[in-house]
Amino acid sequence: MPEILIDPLTRIMGNASVKIVLDEAENPRDARFQAFGYRGFDQIARGSHIDGLCPIVSRICGCDSLFHQLAAATAVENALGVEVPPEALRLRELALWGQLFERHAVSLTVHSLPDLLFPSSDPGLRNIISIHRVDEETVKRLMELKSLGTSVLKEAGGRAVHPVNFLPGGAVRDISADTRRALIDRLNEARPFLIETGRLVKLLLRRNEEAVNALGTDEAPSLSLRGEGGMAITGTALAVVDAGGEAKEAFGLEEAAERLREDNSPHSHIRSVELSGVGEVRVGPLARLNVNGGYGTALADEELEEVKAHWGFPLHRNMIGHAARILEMIHAWERMVELLALPGGEMMRRTLNPSGGSGEGAVEGPEGTLLYGLVLDEDGLVKRLSITTPLQFNLKSLERAVLESARTVLGSADTGERALVLLETAIRAFAPCIPCGVH
Amino acid sequence: MRLAMVSLGSCLGCQMVFLSMEDYLFSLISENSVPFAPFVVDRKGIPEVDMVLVEGVIRNGDDYRKAKQARERSEFLVALGTCACYGGVPGLADMFSEERMMRRRFGADASFEGEPQGVRRLLPVDSYVRVDAYLPGCPPPVELMRSFLEFSLSGTLPSREGSSVCSECAVSGVSLPQAGPHRTTDAEAAEKKCLLEQGFLCMGPLTRDGCGAVCVSESGIPCDGCRGPSDAVLKHPALDPRAETLRRLTRATGKKPHEVQDAIKDPAHSFFRYCLAEALLRRRRPGGSAPFLYRLGERE
Ligand code: SF4
Ligand code: SF4
Ligand code: SF4
Repeated sequence: MPEILIDPLTRIMGNASVKIVLDEAENPRDARFQAFGYRGFDQIARGSHIDGLCPIVSRICGCDSLFHQLAAATAVENALGVEVPPEALRLRELALWGQLFERHAVSLTVHSLPDLLFPSSDPGLRNIISIHRVDEETVKRLMELKSLGTSVLKEAGGRAVHPVNFLPGGAVRDISADTRRALIDRLNEARPFLIETGRLVKLLLRRNEEAVNALGTDEAPSLSLRGEGGMAITGTALAVVDAGGEAKEAFGLEEAAERLREDNSPHSHIRSVELSGVGEVRVGPLARLNVNGGYGTALADEELEEVKAHWGFPLHRNMIGHAARILEMIHAWERMVELLALPGGEMMRRTLNPSGGSGEGAVEGPEGTLLYGLVLDEDGLVKRLSITTPLQFNLKSLERAVLESARTVLGSADTGERALVLLETAIRAFAPCIPCGVH
Repeated sequence: MRLAMVSLGSCLGCQMVFLSMEDYLFSLISENSVPFAPFVVDRKGIPEVDMVLVEGVIRNGDDYRKAKQARERSEFLVALGTCACYGGVPGLADMFSEERMMRRRFGADASFEGEPQGVRRLLPVDSYVRVDAYLPGCPPPVELMRSFLEFSLSGTLPSREGSSVCSECAVSGVSLPQAGPHRTTDAEAAEKKCLLEQGFLCMGPLTRDGCGAVCVSESGIPCDGCRGPSDAVLKHPALDPRAETLRRLTRATGKKPHEVQDAIKDPAHSFFRYCLAEALLRRRRPGGSAPFLYRLGERE
């Protein structure tokens, strides 16, 4: 059977390839996202004391490390019935927004903006290194956004890529008043450029309307944590809305864990996940928006209006995920400023008495809901661990998007290299995280 | 110089550090070319280059092929990050046989279209291909990566010689004995005092220097060994991370050796978190063989 293979996919997080199977008439029949290299994180963490759990799961993914750490820490805290001091929760939230900001900045700047800025130029030129040669200033400013997220994460987390300041029970240290002020100043300085970048992304999406319409529309229900009056990055309340934006289901963490249905994928180590009673669900920046209706902070909601006016609501076109990413960065910016302005904490942690138990933890990772389930034995060692990552929810949707895009772009006269570039663009709309998906 | 970046089974954290070099990143890409780095540029195959940075572990045949190609097509090969140097955290998988791990995850008869063959045991990159220089760290601190690249892109590969994290750690001693052994979750430590002497499991004495003991000095938590084994540990067969840490904890707490040993129920995760797969240490892991490792790490 004839097929088209793109191997490796480039400008994404991690190693994967995609295969498009064609029928006799050379029409796309199936799209297979292939990613291997299961490292066994759910198994290798078994037997570890709870103080080793955060550092271990952190290494699943350097771009989402703190999300893994805190989903795991929350599961431990729930298993042991520990209440984390509110100051520590605030510091954790700050660090999470910092990492989300950084991660979105990388997937936008390094991975996707080149496609939107230069849709028809030579693929060899579509990367920040080549763009840097012609427009040094813009690349530097865009990378400064990444560095802003990195700095917040580093100050709140002690280290940037794999933070060390958080542990089950809370956090070790708060950040000093001076550091808080310095970070607020840096955030304020970046504000105009951030908003400008937000408008640029929206403009580029409007300018690439054809690609936006061709590269996948998905009406699967959306799943996300639900906030009170806006978006939540941590929490215990989850909700599903359908394609029309109607609330379908709302449930807590324990129920979510019980309803997860995992299945092998025939051509990947990423096990796909559905929710019993609902079926397939989408997660990520678009799903969060569809579930929560908005961000709950002034700037982000203001910039959202234009997106809603232009593309409607709920949002189903995958490429609009990029708009949702930059809007989330604006929202993260607002939350970081708010959190930094609060006074520091005195009491940052509770020490734990290890014992048996089981618990769940969830966070909204940059690309969607991340769930941990954990059983501890009587010594406080990890007995069982389950990790459910965003790409596992989105895998089928991603494959559908590739197939749908292939049908449009391969069918037209515009085949060859350009069509392959568009297929990769369709995949980048998901900003998939392969290390998380495979784990 | 022509520089390539190859990522095997990894968390991408080392590449995030590469992107965090700020001004130096821009001067690096202005003065050198980076023809291959799937994280950043679109080229699909590894071209001939002067230096390749290899991140991650060899988990399967695809990773092995990539590492081999990287070796063949590059003058210098650098193992970037503790995963590539010593197996890192994914190296903990060396507690299990590949087959058993896969069976547990995917079921007994799972097969996947296009699946590369797995490796039977997890080993660091230099067990498969020759490595010219090592830059460990999980991830390597950004200043270290910068100076490493500055040196090596000018043609000199930095050596692996070095001391331990303690040599960079500005803490004072405490009077012994202390309570413990403690875990970070169970007790709070006094600031600016040696954590190991306070009874915490600090891997500083056995871990390679270069990070400025950042975890201890900035966050007040013990070093968990992320830069991998120190030179001394790699060179001296008698210096075993587990035995040596237990010895020091015994001294700190004034307890009997077996009491300290029994108190730490996860020796594989605690003492070999980043280097369980390192062949130079493998002989020294108690028992050294797979069945013992199950006992070290795995509890049913
Ligand atoms: S060494 Fe650490 S930071 Fe680098 S890839 Fe491995 S786990 Fe990630
Ligand atoms: S044992 Fe740990 S705390 Fe003590 S000097 Fe060494 S690195 Fe510092
Ligand atoms: S103190 Fe230890 S764990 Fe922390 S960065 Fe240095 S080597 Fe890594």
